[in-house]
Amino acid sequence: MRLNLVLELIDVPGQLLDALRPIGKLGANIVAIIHQRDVKTERGTIPVQITIEGDKQTLDRVIGSIEESNIQLISVDGVLRKEKMITILVGNIVGEDVQDTLARLNNLEGVQVADLDLKMSENPENSSTKIVLEADYGQKKNVLKKIKEIGKQKGFLIINEV
Amino acid sequence: MKIAILGLGAVGKGVTQVIAMKQDYLQNKYGFNLEIVAAADSSGGVICNEGLDANLLLKTKKEKGNVSDYPIYGDPNLNSLKILEEADYDCLVEVTPTNIEDGEPALSHLLTAIENGKDVVTSNKGPLALSFRTLDDAARFNDVQLRFEASVGGAMPIINFAHENLAGCHIESIFGILNGTTNYILSRMAKEGSSYDQTLKEAQEMGIAETDPYQDVEGIDAACKIAILANSVLNRDVTLDEVEVIGISGITPESIALAKKEGCLIKLIGEASHDVLEVSPRLVKLGSPLAVGGTMNLATLRTDLAKDVTVAGLGAGSVETASAILSDLLNIWRTKK
Repeated sequence: MRLNLVLELIDVPGQLLDALRPIGKLGANIVAIIHQRDVKTERGTIPVQITIEGDKQTLDRVIGSIEESNIQLISVDGVLRKEKMITILVGNIVGEDVQDTLARLNNLEGVQVADLDLKMSENPENSSTKIVLEADYGQKKNVLKKIKEIGKQKGFLIINEV
Repeated sequence: MKIAILGLGAVGKGVTQVIAMKQDYLQNKYGFNLEIVAAADSSGGVICNEGLDANLLLKTKKEKGNVSDYPIYGDPNLNSLKILEEADYDCLVEVTPTNIEDGEPALSHLLTAIENGKDVVTSNKGPLALSFRTLDDAARFNDVQLRFEASVGGAMPIINFAHENLAGCHIESIFGILNGTTNYILSRMAKEGSSYDQTLKEAQEMGIAETDPYQDVEGIDAACKIAILANSVLNRDVTLDEVEVIGISGITPESIALAKKEGCLIKLIGEASHDVLEVSPRLVKLGSPLAVGGTMNLATLRTDLAKDVTVAGLGAGSVETASAILSDLLNIWRTKK
């Protein structure tokens, strides 16, 4: 059987090779690769489409190994695996223990903090942070609700996506 | 059609002006004879069952400040409730100032007219956001029409649009920018990198924000509209206090800068669906329909058949808002013809 995968790679040398190596090692065939270095996502990553072939067991193992690695698996046969979401928090971000905030987000099932940007203001109680999260597909509503809960406890203004 | 106008503030004057401008046009184009037979403001009222001169009414209000100074027929002892008793009118246009505590006196005006078997058109958010079911039930019981297109988004078509153009679609949710003042402030902050306080002051100087901006900037005005939309379009039974509200006074230049980095703007978004009633600052992708600037109002209706349909228009302004009231009047007249 064949599978179409979409991965997102960071734009540094050797990434594509690192992504392909386990596929061959686990015994799957690579049928096609579409890799355009100059087409980037908003985050600066490069989407790569790979078609692989093999028996079901092998392909499952390939997907498992990609998921364990640092490489982002976006979709399998057109079905999205991960959703990206952005949230901005305004408040006493540092004073309310930013590490704890992140840990609580990371502890949500199927959720990973992918990026964090902090901007201090003159008044530290009015600082802002942008957090990019990746969640298993279909979890978005649930995750947004959890972010609101955390924000309420810590007195943050929460700015979620529409 | 004979109408009584209660309230001659910005919207009431707009309605009078539109009638003065369009009386002949309406007669020629539709055969619609629209006449003002009574009007009231806080000074008193005026009744003339043969029809008031809209231009003279405007002039009286402008020059003297009181409609009770209208020649011959003006009377400082005529209050709103007396007008509803004594005037020979077909439809009430209720445009008194909005009160979000108890909806009065508009609520009593509307109920009195409805119970007297009169149709009603209003732009007044208070009574609709607080007592929608009471009004709607009363209108059904008395077999009269209650129309309020102007109460949400001024000239932006949404309520009649949802009921008529999207008839047959199941409307899953409505979300959008329902307050022009906050949209102006947020747009300026994004453009200039200025602080909230500074931008609010600028908006006040330009007359875009009111001297007491509380209801706009804290999201109350948008929350009223969400309550009205949830009742009238989504057929829910809710009131204003069930809407979760967060305003824009906590938005900082830093948060706007961070949003920009992700290709987003911060907008005050109202959202209503079967399980959500919310007004809050949200992230909106640049280039999406919601990324409009200035004082525009805009809303997306998410439906099963038509998918997303987006409407936009000026959310305030006396003549603009009056256009929505005129279309309600015309629609009522058409159904009775």
